[in-house]
Formats: sequence, structure tokens, C-alpha cells
Amino acid sequence: MLLYHVRIALKSLRRTPGLSAVILGGIALGIGVAALFSTVRHSMAKDPIPGKSDVLHWVRLDNWDPARAHPNVDGISPQLTYRDAMEIMKTDIPARQTAMFKANLYVFPDSKVARPKRTLIRLCFADFFPMFELPFKYGSGWDRKADQGPEPVVVLDEETNDLLFGGTNSVGKSVRIEDREFRVVGVLDTWRPSIKFYDITQNPIQPPEQVFMPFNFVRPMQIRTAGNTDGWKTSGGPGFEGFLASDHNWIQFWAELPDAATRQRYVDFLKAYVTEQKKAGRFPRPLRVEVTPVMAWMDSQGVTPPQVTAVWVVSLLFLAVCALNLMGLLLAKFLARAPEIGVRRALGASRRDVFVQHVVESELVGLLGGVLGVLLALGGVAVVNGWAKTAINRGDLFRFDGAMVLAAAGLSLAAGLVAGLYPAWRVCRIPPAVHLKLQ
Amino acid sequence: MLMMRDIRKVYRTDLIETHALSDFSLHVRTGEFVAVMGPSGSGKTTFLNVAGLLDTFDAGTYELDGKDVSRLSDDEMSRFRNRKIGFVFQSFNLIPDLDVFDNVDVPLRYRGLPASERKARIEKALEQVGLSSRARHLPSQLSGGQQQRVAIARVLAGDPRLILADEPTGNLDSLMTREILDLLEEINGRGTTIVMVTHSPECATRAHRQIHLLDGKVVDLDAPPSLARAPEAVPAVG
Repeated sequence: MLLYHVRIALKSLRRTPGLSAVILGGIALGIGVAALFSTVRHSMAKDPIPGKSDVLHWVRLDNWDPARAHPNVDGISPQLTYRDAMEIMKTDIPARQTAMFKANLYVFPDSKVARPKRTLIRLCFADFFPMFELPFKYGSGWDRKADQGPEPVVVLDEETNDLLFGGTNSVGKSVRIEDREFRVVGVLDTWRPSIKFYDITQNPIQPPEQVFMPFNFVRPMQIRTAGNTDGWKTSGGPGFEGFLASDHNWIQFWAELPDAATRQRYVDFLKAYVTEQKKAGRFPRPLRVEVTPVMAWMDSQGVTPPQVTAVWVVSLLFLAVCALNLMGLLLAKFLARAPEIGVRRALGASRRDVFVQHVVESELVGLLGGVLGVLLALGGVAVVNGWAKTAINRGDLFRFDGAMVLAAAGLSLAAGLVAGLYPAWRVCRIPPAVHLKLQ
Repeated sequence: MLMMRDIRKVYRTDLIETHALSDFSLHVRTGEFVAVMGPSGSGKTTFLNVAGLLDTFDAGTYELDGKDVSRLSDDEMSRFRNRKIGFVFQSFNLIPDLDVFDNVDVPLRYRGLPASERKARIEKALEQVGLSSRARHLPSQLSGGQQQRVAIARVLAGDPRLILADEPTGNLDSLMTREILDLLEEINGRGTTIVMVTHSPECATRAHRQIHLLDGKVVDLDAPPSLARAPEAVPAVG
């Protein structure tokens, strides 16, 4: 019977092509706008690493000014000092962990191919790659032994490998960074998370770094951060060694804690470390350590701007207005068909049959409008990505993925239902005898 | 087949009450062909709507095919209409988007019959009215007489016990009128009860008996004729 209702609904749409076009256009516009802004929000707010976001934890220690809290939204610096990060790295409680920061260094391609290029490089530990599930096209990340040396190894992103080696398998080849030669151990496959969730201390929609090298080169190469550095007092002494010994916060730190017991042990370890440091006159504020999972960390730092959420809500309200407008059009269309409904009732259709037939027609309108709306949304996403490509070199920032297809289908069905319930209820209440003479 | 006793139907507005049927009593036996006549406003259409379970009534009792239908729910009335009653209207009341086959299919769909049985019934009904070759034509591609034959095929496919015809020849010329009345007589001859509202005395003469309505009451009632088939008991008509 459902297929019969669908067939009748299609005939009904064909009967009034002009009105049907207006109805479908209206709902398509509503779905298109709602799907576009849902995509924008979804790209920013979705779980960037499903399955691991609960076990990856951002680590912070409150080493700030005793007179006032850190200006970050939750009153604690988002980063650690170098010396604390190095001490914490010594524990083996987490399954994996990494201290890291980004730097801006010169990479030297073959002089016949290109000029030296300032390149964003992430200095991290070997655990970084399995922790964040980076995909490899060639080779792999380096091992923990390479962290200790440190061994001169690097991982390149696909684009850099294209630039330096024409896209060939460059594992084992050499690349010069600043004044040192490094051996390529891995080349990443395409990896462009919408949100750079592993480091949101600066612009969270920046693309990932292009080169990854062992963290411990920070000291021999005296590498400075290209990210934020914050501090509340002058300390540490002169020169680069003084900077490393200072209480300035500039290192990001992640720990993979697979279960609650490990997490608790890790928190206890951090508290013991801070307590120990307090005895040496550091950490003057009340003891506070924060170990925060990915989604909570992103939420707390406002990765999804409230304006994006506000526009998304407005787009849903716009869809609701479209659905209400559609309700009026469907009511007029259905009531104009009252004589036919009278005939069907005379021939044995129950109120339920009439109601279902018209709800099916409304849902069909919703779904067809949804298909058109998705096409509109895809066009809109392409336009927004075009803008992002120009403004921040992120042409793939917003993605209309499978989840958004499901969301658009859900919105379409919901809009069809909202628009169709009342008109369907009205026409199923029409007394069958009233319109029979008018047919 | 149809037994109405003291039926009252009143249409009310804020200002006025219209007694469409008052103390209306009628008995139609199984297998009868009855013509209902009367001037405009006499209650013919109201009677037909009540008889066809398309409208409710305010007082009285109504038995249809041996069942008291006075207190049926809307769903039960729909099911009863679908299985027991066939309608033939003056303006044919075919659904314009559906071709002949699908129009005849409508009541069978609501009965939930399997596709193979529906197809067999539709083909047989169209053959009976001589429109097998027009199964995929739209109503707009047919003459008035053909459209009315499609409406009759729709009734035949459902195999009802009672046919209610509301001026079935009102929109037809004399030739077509004869064809349709012949068809109705043939159907009645197979045992289906027919109640036909008509303005035309010529059409009414084709019925076994005529009933005249005025101001919502039966004012002139022919004696029930003797029928070819075994007649059922004839209760007094109140």
C-alpha cells in the first residue's frame, strides 16, 4: 500500500507542476540553507578522532602567577614549560605520550627544483603518529629509539614530498632542514582534519604542519616555537638554555590514557610532581592539574565559535519557516482535492488511509525537496570552501560527509512531517458526502 | 437488504435547522431494483448518503444486509462501504489522474486484495462493461457513457450486495442512458440490489418499484413486486 501511496503522490505532483515547483523550491531552499550551515558547524564540532577521543588527554599544570589566574577561559595555561614537559615525559604510566610544538624552519629542496622554503614543522615524539592515527603513503613514523638520539629523521606530508621528490617514494632519501641533513622515514597520505585538534592553541582551522621531526632536536638546533609563549615572570637566565629552563609555557602535551585507572594513576603522578616542585618554590598557586579528553578540551576552548552555532540555529529556524509555509501550500492543495478524497472515502478508504496517503505525499515532497536542497548545500559548501581557500589556504575545510547526508535526509523527513501532518489531518476529517456532487 | 425505521437527519446552522429526513422509513428487499424520485430538496441525496454510510443520522435505526449499522465507527463504516456497497454517481466521479484500470482498482486497493486477484477482477469487470480495450485510457479520453461504464465496472469489481446510483444517467444522452440502464438491469438480474435516485420518470419505469419523497418523507410507495428469485420476508414498512 505504501508504494501505491507513493505512486498517487507522484501523480499528484505531476498534476500541478507549477505549484509543485514552488513547493519543492521552498523546501529545497530551507533544506539547502540548513544543510549548509549544519555542514559548517559539523565540520568544526564533530569528533575529529572517533574511537580515540576519550583516551587522548590534553595535559596542563597551573604554574601561573599567585596573584591572578591565567587569562585562558578556564584560568589555566593551555601549555607547559619545557622543563616540566621533559620531566613528565619520563613516566611510563600512559600508553603513549608526546610533548610537541611547531616551528618555522627552512627546508632546502634540490636547488634545480625550488628555492629554500620556510616550512611549518612539528617537533614531536614517536608516539605522535600512532596516537593521532596519521595515515602513511610510504614508510612510517620513527621509533622511540630515534627520539633519544635524537636521530635525524623526518616525516613529510604529501605536498612537501611532491615538492621535494616529485611525489615518488622518498623513504631513505635525504632532505636538508636549516643546516642539517635528515633522512625521510615516512610520507603521509592525505591528512587534512577540518580542525587541527592536536593543537588548538592558535588558529584551530589551520592545516597540519608539512614536516614532522624528533622533539629532541629543540636543544641542539636551538629551535624556537612558532606558536604562543606565555609567562608571568622573568626567569631562567640568559640565552636559549635560559629560555628552556624558564617558567614560560610553550609546549603542548598529550597523553593516551586507555582507562579510568590509568588516568587516575597519571593524575596522581602529576599531582605528586607539582607537589614536589612546590617544595622548590615553583607552582605558587593552589595545586591544580588538568587532564582533559579531546572533545571536552575543544569545547572548553570554544573551537566552535558561538556565532557558528547561532547561524546554524537561525538556519534551522529558516527551515521551520519554510516548512510552515509549505504547510499552507499543502493545505490548499489537499483541500482542492476534496472531491477526489470524497470518492475514495465512498469507495472504502478509511480516515487513516486518507491521512497516510497525504502524509506520504508530504514526506515525498520533503525528500524530493531534500535532494534539491542537498545539491544547493553542496554548491554552498563549494563556495564557502573557495572563500576559505583564498583566505586561509583551506579549500577542504567544510565537508559534506555521510553524516551530513543522513542529517539532510532527517531534516527533509522532519520538514515533510511538520508541513504535512496538519493538512493530512484536516483532509482526512472531511465528511465524504460533502464533496461528492462537486466532482 | 435495506431497512430504515424512523430515520431523522437534521442539518443545523447557527440560525436554522433543516429537517432533511424526518421519520423516514423504507424497506428494500434483496434483489430489488428501486427508483427513488422526488423534487429538489425532498431528501433524495440525504437518503442516499445515509443509506451509503457516507453520512450519519440523528435518530432511528438502519439495518443493512442484516446488520445494524446505526452505531458503526468511521472505520467500520468505511469497511462496510468497501465490501457491501457500490456507488454510481451522476458525474461518474472517476479520478482524473488514474487510467481506467487504476480507477477500477481503487476500492480493491482499500480491501487489501492481492495483486493477482485485483487484476483478475478488474479485467472481468471491464469485459462486462465492454471496455477491456480502454484499460489504459484516462477518463478524459472517454465519452460520458464510457466513463459511466467505467464507474459501473468499478462497482462490479467490488462485487457489492447493494448499488446506490445517484442519477446515473443525468449527464448522458438518450442512447447512452439506455445503455446504462440496460447494464444496471443486467446487474440487478444477477441478484444485486439497486437503489437509484432519478428525476426521470422514463428511467424510473425500468425499476421494480418507485418511491416518491417529499420534505424528507416517503409519500408514495409502490407495493413491492414479486421477484424472480426467492424473495425474503417483507416486514411492514413503517
